[in-house]
Amino acid sequence: MSQPVIAPAGVQALQVLTVLFGAPLVSGATSKVEALMQGRRGPRVLQPYYDLAKLFRKETVVPEGASWVFLAGPVVAFSSYLTVPLLIPVLTSYGLPLGYMGDILGGGMLLALGSFATALAASDSGAPYAQLGASRAMAFSALAEPTLLFVFFVVAMLTSTDLPYALAATVRSTSEAVRPSHVLVAAAFFLVVLADTGRIPVEAHAGTLELGMVDEARTLEHSGAPFALIKWGSALKQLVLYTIFINVFVAPWGLASSGKATDVVAAVFSLLGKALLLGVVFAVIDNSFSKLRLFKVTEFLAAAFLLACLGVVVFYLGGA
Amino acid sequence: MGPVPSAYASGVDVAALLVLLTEFAMLRAPQLRSQVRLYAFQSLVVVVLTAVTGAVRGHPDLYILAALSLLLKVVIVPAVMLHLLRELDVGQLHHPAGGGGGSMVLVAIAASLFGFFSLRSLGLHSKVLPTATLSVAVAIVLVAFVLVVLRSDVVSQAVGFFSLENGVSIVSMAIAAGLPVVVEVSFLFDLLVAAVAFALIMRAHHARAKTLSTEALDRLRG
Repeated sequence: MSQPVIAPAGVQALQVLTVLFGAPLVSGATSKVEALMQGRRGPRVLQPYYDLAKLFRKETVVPEGASWVFLAGPVVAFSSYLTVPLLIPVLTSYGLPLGYMGDILGGGMLLALGSFATALAASDSGAPYAQLGASRAMAFSALAEPTLLFVFFVVAMLTSTDLPYALAATVRSTSEAVRPSHVLVAAAFFLVVLADTGRIPVEAHAGTLELGMVDEARTLEHSGAPFALIKWGSALKQLVLYTIFINVFVAPWGLASSGKATDVVAAVFSLLGKALLLGVVFAVIDNSFSKLRLFKVTEFLAAAFLLACLGVVVFYLGGA
Repeated sequence: MGPVPSAYASGVDVAALLVLLTEFAMLRAPQLRSQVRLYAFQSLVVVVLTAVTGAVRGHPDLYILAALSLLLKVVIVPAVMLHLLRELDVGQLHHPAGGGGGSMVLVAIAASLFGFFSLRSLGLHSKVLPTATLSVAVAIVLVAFVLVVLRSDVVSQAVGFFSLENGVSIVSMAIAAGLPVVVEVSFLFDLLVAAVAFALIMRAHHARAKTLSTEALDRLRG
């Protein structure tokens, strides 16, 4: 009896689809858990899907004086976030045909391109709060960039390649997972994910006060379908970053090692399960810390950089 | 580069790094009280490291040391310090030290890098603990020095001195899987004496200067 086997191209498409349709679920479940922890009933787990459906039906309003950049930004951002799952191990432990199209720097570039497009659209709107959010987001992501580079350096040194698949394989096969340099860069990457997904302590993502906003403020002028794309895009970015953190750095287990349908389906569920667990961790962090003052965010990112720096130093000088 | 270290070696290194990171956190801690709590946490990590090294390397005397350190460094000394801070009622925030916080951290990073570089050029190797642990322990000692030198309050100086001892005990474990118990216990006794001395200094300094900041000592009175 032979099991149905999914062709590599199919698995690859499934990676993208899993991220595309799983992302709202993960953010919905996370905000549900967060609400429960605060003693609220919270929105339904499927609420993000309803929100998206509603927004796609609404008309699009464009601010006076805004150009085509305002409308193109969300589309570019959405599609670049959607390209990243082609490059990273989402479902499989082996590289898929397009998986070697770009390395970990390529994935980083796509993520940066996405937030650049969103920031450009926000600036084009001409609205003060959107521009404020855009410039803040760009400033903080510029500060997070050195940390990411050091993380990539260590990854490259540990595996002699800069492919996410290779690092995941190294973590799976040896005691790499507890190796000090790896632990340090994983912690640094965790802090960067925290900052990049707009969570406490960098940003109160559920807040409504414009002056405290970073990422959220960028989207204030958008409406209708482009706004839906932006919301969906930020959920996508979150799940993509979670996936990189889980499947490359921390727990690259439970991935499909072949194209068998049962393996692949199991991998979909294990990815979503792990992402939900990580979401719970983020919800706990959200509920146990307060938002940092804006000028303290640099210190938070400096702490991440310290971790990454120590990772490089420990690897080079201690061989550990 | 070299082979992937074993899980035990990596675990030890991670614990030592955790101690180093707590040292950095102490440097940046805005509250005197949180500094003392960080010291208690740091000591706990060292205690666990001592016990694990004892178990893995088969030195049962390290258990005695771990138990004594647990009692002294995790419970008694922090409790006494916290009690003293409550009693003196100096407020929560520490007095801004000379130089910004950022430059303090930079100096500390430079000091720990110096530790790593110098240990590497010495080329020491330990049979018991991985080489990286020794470098990290030296970095801990150097950062503790930075803490003592740069933060200008009595509590930081006391905590810096105590955490210096934590670094030294990791060094001793890295070199010899623990010194003879008599020596280690006398270290602990030393720490107890230091705790008493620092408690006296804190009280005396507070009685004269009405603050725990050592900046009051810079002013000449003639």
